[in-house]
Amino acid sequence: MQPQTLIEVQEVTQRFRARVALDRFSISIDEGTVVGVLGPNGAGKTTLIEVVAGLSRPVSGAVRWRGELVTSPFPRDVRRRIGVMTQHVALYDELTVRQNLRFAAQLFGVEHRDNRIAEVLELIGLSLRAKDRAGSLSGGMRRRLALGRALLHNPELLILDEPTLGVDVEARHALWGHVRWLRGTGKTVLLSTNHLDEAEALCDRIVVLRDGRRVTEGDPAELLARTGHWVEIDCLAGSVPDVRERIVGLPGIGRIDVTEVGLTVHVAHGDSPDAVTIAALDSGLVQSVRVRPPDLLEVFQSLTEEADG
Amino acid sequence: MAEALRAVRAAARLELEQLGRSRVLVTLVVLEAITFLVLVSLFGLTGSRAPTALIDRDDGPLARSFVDHLDAAHHSFALRPMSADRASEQISSGDILAIITIPSDFGRRVAGAGTSVVPITVDNVNEDLTGDVREAMPSAVTAFAADNNFPGVRVVAVEHDLIDHETGYVAYLVVSALALTAFVVSGILGAVSITREFETRTVTQLRLAPVPAGWLVVGKLLAASCVSAIAVGIAALIVVAGYGVHPDHALGALAVLAICVVIFTSLGACVGALLRRTLPVSALFFGLALPFYVDSGALEPLRFDGEKLWVTGHASPVYSAIGVLQWGFHGLRVTPESVLQNVLVLCLWALASVLVAAAVLSRRVVRQ
Repeated sequence: MQPQTLIEVQEVTQRFRARVALDRFSISIDEGTVVGVLGPNGAGKTTLIEVVAGLSRPVSGAVRWRGELVTSPFPRDVRRRIGVMTQHVALYDELTVRQNLRFAAQLFGVEHRDNRIAEVLELIGLSLRAKDRAGSLSGGMRRRLALGRALLHNPELLILDEPTLGVDVEARHALWGHVRWLRGTGKTVLLSTNHLDEAEALCDRIVVLRDGRRVTEGDPAELLARTGHWVEIDCLAGSVPDVRERIVGLPGIGRIDVTEVGLTVHVAHGDSPDAVTIAALDSGLVQSVRVRPPDLLEVFQSLTEEADG
Repeated sequence: MAEALRAVRAAARLELEQLGRSRVLVTLVVLEAITFLVLVSLFGLTGSRAPTALIDRDDGPLARSFVDHLDAAHHSFALRPMSADRASEQISSGDILAIITIPSDFGRRVAGAGTSVVPITVDNVNEDLTGDVREAMPSAVTAFAADNNFPGVRVVAVEHDLIDHETGYVAYLVVSALALTAFVVSGILGAVSITREFETRTVTQLRLAPVPAGWLVVGKLLAASCVSAIAVGIAALIVVAGYGVHPDHALGALAVLAICVVIFTSLGACVGALLRRTLPVSALFFGLALPFYVDSGALEPLRFDGEKLWVTGHASPVYSAIGVLQWGFHGLRVTPESVLQNVLVLCLWALASVLVAAAVLSRRVVRQ
């Protein structure tokens, strides 16, 4: 069965004074998918999230919920179907974990409130901290509480704006676990992030955003494949030019960054990094060779170059 | 409607729970209410008790009679008998305002219809205090001469009081302070209920909720008003029980305080929505409190302070509130406007404040 489009953003432009935050941007999110919006800081991710959540009215373009045109603030019936975890967790620090959830449950008219709060507390692993003040929780726990609040009314669309921003590795993986669980239950999720590994780990589809414009879109594996590989070569003293000579001209070689002690070589997608590795090792002038996937900046450079032709 | 009620109830409960958890804030706010009473009491006491040294070198019956008249002549004196050396030392160190010296031949000269010079040394640090001393001396001399039947002096004062009872200065001041208490307490609590949403960014959660965000704001402000009313009520109780000021029209006074709470909570919420930060809001309310207090007829009926001040006083509802409160507690009419007119003005202020608050909050909180 063809999945239905839950929410669709069409040709949306959003400006803040002279600055264009979104430029004729379109995205559609199908039911049951996890879509990631990937981009560096200032790319327009949060602006997009605000438009999709109904917090911000774009200067032009349209937003459709199940095909129906909606404008900010969205009708209450639509708001009831969306759960949002904002970038800033926005908790009432003086109140307890349970009181924070109870207030949200009241606002969303959650039925069997106490039972549902207990369920969510269990889900986010904060049952034992229910009576603690939100302000006393660690960064990771606060994020989990914010996630629980967004899930409390069982929304059809869950929007997560940089859910792991500023948390440690352990908390990050715990949050990933929750999102994966949601993915398993068929929940529709829109997630913004500037971590490539996060997008790769959680999303069915990634939209890459830069300066308010779409750079590219695809599933994570496909995007990573399109960005090629990087080979880092540590050379023996004074041998960098010789190693470079042996590598230049090999098939698929893009940029070569040279330092005093080594080289970083970009191998275009579709070409294997093996030829570079073998050539470097055969020279007998290297200490080590490492093949790695690109980091976020390199992905952007690579995809942008590709998009620019 | 059920949805609106749910929103109001939830937000009111939230605000009460937040305030319940912010015990230091609430305690300080209640203390502020009481501090105003103490502040104005001290102001009243210090303004009327300028310490003045008395050196009586004569110590005869006429000299003692003169001292009695000095004591009664002007309430600004607090006469302290002492030696010349000590008086000189204390005026140099700033412990006393003036030295009055009664010469050793005072009784003899006065009884012989002669002239006696009574030297006065004044630390004329400010004209108000110096003026009090200057005005007190002639009236004391006149009264002294009249009582002792000295020839050539004949003063008879016939006083017709407008009001059938005397009102103590401190009692007058603390009643005025209640209006200021409402201004500071309600203003700050109203503002904080909004600034907190911006500071913690929870305002976004209010906008995302599937209930009218306006009702959430109403719920929060209702709760803030209730807590303000309790704080102002405690201050009013202290005025009654602590200062012994029994209201002539208790219901009228309470109604005016309630209207003040509505006005200042609404205005506070407006300021909170505009500034979005608690610290400048608090500074603003404290900064405005004393000018409002002084220029609203809090110290004496404002009409006596000149046309300009009187006209300026109308810029704040505190003027009308003090007018009604002085009637409510002391039965006084301290404004040219009648009590009814003042109540109407306050009701208009309340209506305008609520409407302005609705407009500002709708723009700054409910929408982006």
